[in-house]
Amino acid sequence: MKELTCIVCPVGCHLSVDENQKITGNKCPRGYQYAISELTHPKRMLTTTVRTIFNDVPRLSVKSKEPVPKEYLFDIMSELNQLIVTKHVKIGDIIVSNIHQTGVDMVATKSTDVNHQ
Amino acid sequence: MFDYIIVGSGIIGSMIARELSRYDVSIMVFDKENDFASHQTTANSAIIHSGHDPKEHTLKARLCVEGNKLYEKLEQELDIPLLRTGAYVVAHGEEEEKLLQILYDRAQANRVPNIQMITPEELRQEEPRLMSTITKALSLPSTKVTYPWEVAFAALENAVKNGASIRRNSHVITIEKDHNNFKMTLDDGTVWLTRHIINAAGVMSDRIASMIEDDVEFVIHPRRGEYLVLDHRAKDAFHHVIYPLPTAKGKGVLIVPQVHGNILLGPTSELVNDPEDASTTMEGIRYIKEQLRMLSDAIPYEWTIRAFAGVRATSSYDDFYIQESKTYPGFYHVAGIDSPGLTAAPAIAKYLVEEVINIRASKKASFDPYRQKRTLFHQLSEEDKYRLAKENPLYGNIICKCERITEQEIIDAIKGPLGNDTIKGIKKRARAGSGLCQGGYCEHQVLNIIARETKKPKSSINYDGQHTPILVKETKTHE
Amino acid sequence: MNNVDLAIIGGGAAGLAAALSAVDDALRIVLIEKDRQLGGILNQCIHNGFGLHQFKEELTGPEYADRFIQSLSKQGVSIMFETTVLDIQKKEDFELMISSPKHGYEHLHARAVILASGCYERTRGAATIPGTRPKGIMPAGSAQRYLNMEGYLVGKRIFILGSGDIGLIMARRMTLEGAQVLGVAEIMPYSNGLTRNIVQCLHDFDIPLYLSHTVTHVKGKEVLEQITIQEVDQSMNPIAGTEKVFDVDTLLLSIGLIPDVALFDGLPMKKSPTTRSAYVDQHLMTNIDGLFVCGNALHVHDLVDWVSDEGKKAGQWAKRYLLSPSHAEKDLKPILLGHYVRYVVPHHIDMNDCTEPITLSFRITKKMTAAYIKVIQDDQVIAQRKSAYLAPAEMESMIIQPHQLISKNPIQLIVEDIV
Repeated sequence: MKELTCIVCPVGCHLSVDENQKITGNKCPRGYQYAISELTHPKRMLTTTVRTIFNDVPRLSVKSKEPVPKEYLFDIMSELNQLIVTKHVKIGDIIVSNIHQTGVDMVATKSTDVNHQ
Repeated sequence: MFDYIIVGSGIIGSMIARELSRYDVSIMVFDKENDFASHQTTANSAIIHSGHDPKEHTLKARLCVEGNKLYEKLEQELDIPLLRTGAYVVAHGEEEEKLLQILYDRAQANRVPNIQMITPEELRQEEPRLMSTITKALSLPSTKVTYPWEVAFAALENAVKNGASIRRNSHVITIEKDHNNFKMTLDDGTVWLTRHIINAAGVMSDRIASMIEDDVEFVIHPRRGEYLVLDHRAKDAFHHVIYPLPTAKGKGVLIVPQVHGNILLGPTSELVNDPEDASTTMEGIRYIKEQLRMLSDAIPYEWTIRAFAGVRATSSYDDFYIQESKTYPGFYHVAGIDSPGLTAAPAIAKYLVEEVINIRASKKASFDPYRQKRTLFHQLSEEDKYRLAKENPLYGNIICKCERITEQEIIDAIKGPLGNDTIKGIKKRARAGSGLCQGGYCEHQVLNIIARETKKPKSSINYDGQHTPILVKETKTHE
Repeated sequence: MNNVDLAIIGGGAAGLAAALSAVDDALRIVLIEKDRQLGGILNQCIHNGFGLHQFKEELTGPEYADRFIQSLSKQGVSIMFETTVLDIQKKEDFELMISSPKHGYEHLHARAVILASGCYERTRGAATIPGTRPKGIMPAGSAQRYLNMEGYLVGKRIFILGSGDIGLIMARRMTLEGAQVLGVAEIMPYSNGLTRNIVQCLHDFDIPLYLSHTVTHVKGKEVLEQITIQEVDQSMNPIAGTEKVFDVDTLLLSIGLIPDVALFDGLPMKKSPTTRSAYVDQHLMTNIDGLFVCGNALHVHDLVDWVSDEGKKAGQWAKRYLLSPSHAEKDLKPILLGHYVRYVVPHHIDMNDCTEPITLSFRITKKMTAAYIKVIQDDQVIAQRKSAYLAPAEMESMIIQPHQLISKNPIQLIVEDIV
């Protein structure tokens, strides 16, 4: 019997997986998917920042549009740390597409034009 | 070549610098730290004692009473804050009342003004939160409270105005005789010549003395005192300094209303091995609360914002040690200045210069005793606030929300003759970060203002000492 | 502009929601914000987890704030940026002393005020953690701001005290940005944070969690060098012999949030010792007529979605106070706390003014699975619901419809195990 905590949403259902790969404990279908994914190929949402040239917004917050493979988190961080945003962006703008060949885009979660927002 | 080099820029060194700057002599003040007045001066009860406590016919007694009077003049000249709280020494029961009487007699002998014994009813009128088990109290109206490091800074600023030089990060490591003068070497390799040395080095004064003296007449026994600080929202709890009866260990754990509305509770008193061990302990805080239970059971501890400790330079010598070296004329020790050092400080400086040094140099005609009045925005009248903030938008920008400190006041603390470029230095001067949130809201703003005003990178802005940057590593740089 | 109908203090989640719901052609509203931008603490909360209830989507902090900021920009609410409120007094109306670089020092008059000023972090000093006072000890939120907004790490070897969400989130964040997080200590025998955060912030990075431990010593003259943690017993006293030492340069504190109600100092405000903020009625109004409080300034929330709900209500009630006030005399009855309820907001109900559903927001004293939440009046259960899982770290709510009240006597909120 394997015990997991679902991380898809803040509820954090306690999931159990038995020897026959039967999954119980999820309050919604996303939890079921999470359990499968976590046991085969764990993925995580990545939220971080990237550097900009703007003095009043030296860092821009970004997120992965979908979860990325957990084992690539630090590699993705390394790649993102090389970036410098030089043009103004808005929420939702793609900052990097297909980060680290995962097929997942990194998008801005804030606009760089902050004054009096 | 200087006429006088003073080692130590605490309240004692600063007052001495100011006193000497009345005369036509060249003066340099060294401090080994990254800011002036960094040790005892920033960690004491802030009380200007009446003089009831020191033994009769000691220097402590005489200079305490004289110093207390001199603070009235300092308030005018240096624009320092002085809270005229008065004090009560309280006694529980007959045995303690006998000890209280001894204190009364001593206070009389020491010529403490306006003392009187009061009844528990009178006491309760003034201080309703004190224990009803108190049976008698000694009132000491000449007791005051000040802001100790501001006094030191004010004196030092005034000394600089009158020609003195100051140097931080100046750690003295050797002192040698050089014909009729002294040669001092610092740990940065620089060498300094001076005709006279004033040793005002606090807990390190015996170490400074033994750099040249074979026989040092005093040994520093570092004595640590821990304190709790309550936020200024507790200010209505007590209005006077409250002393229990003193014991061999010292004056005891006190309740001390502070100049900016805070209440100080403490100190403890224990000997420590390391003269710079200013750590707080669980036992110390417990001890403070236990002892204070005898004074009041209504202390608003929920307003505790900080615990700190300081190490006092208690010495083996039974009094203040203010003497010229017996072996090396021109080398003066001002050592063992524990309580009532803060109170006695201006009198110590006068005594040293006029009686111990017996200075021959002529007085400066140009000596200006006044330090310019500082603008504390939140203390101004409504009309003055309107006018000033309109003239200068930097007064309209509130940086420290808890204590109402404006951007201009922070800039003033960075610039100026005693300006400083550390977070702690700005806290000592402008009080930003001294309030309820202890810098949670404002530290990043203060840091950015310091970086901007000093044109230094943010990652070089220190918390206190030279190698204490708050921002340790900039992320996403190509290193 | 010196006279407004409604002044809202704070442009974070609570203030934004309050402003949006108070909008009315008949009202002059001003939103006062001390920073250069709206959003409050959400601007530095770059992680996910916001908006599941409000928007049925999982958003980061800045994205959540942006939804409200965009909506507000379409309304005619004046916003004062870089403006700090120094004091509030009440005579016939409210007088706010405000200050900004742009307009200097001014007095602003308002007929009603909503305080949405958020909260601040409990400090090392307030917790009197013993030891030296070197550089390197700071609240987790301050480190978060330096990292996420300015782009600096405050240290390389980190220990975190407090396993609330801020501490857990920072454990992950610092690790991703290249610091080493050596552990998290939590004085309680359970973590206060969301379980998902234990997984994705600690387990994912092999960061150990020391439950029933606290920091008992700090070492380092000018810069932090070492901390000691110890296990504590049931009375929270450190147990000798359980010392564990860590060589670190940073100790981040996630040891509690305190409502920022400094602005109550100038008012005869009654404060609750449990929530450390004002007593309010079901309209989120304090004992001072026209003064409303909402969000973290009223009580510390764990989900911003509920902060927005509360802000929305404060806005609605402030609007009603200004446009169509109830003239009935007040009949305030306290809400009594029953088993396992640590506190409830509101604290009392004006029984003469119950026209809308009343939301009781509360926290319980211990973790419970399978429980009944019951509201009792005159010894009768007037409302109840079942809950599968309750925890002190998760604020709960119970809604009472006006018709469910059977008299004007006090109601009691209790939580009962289902046996």
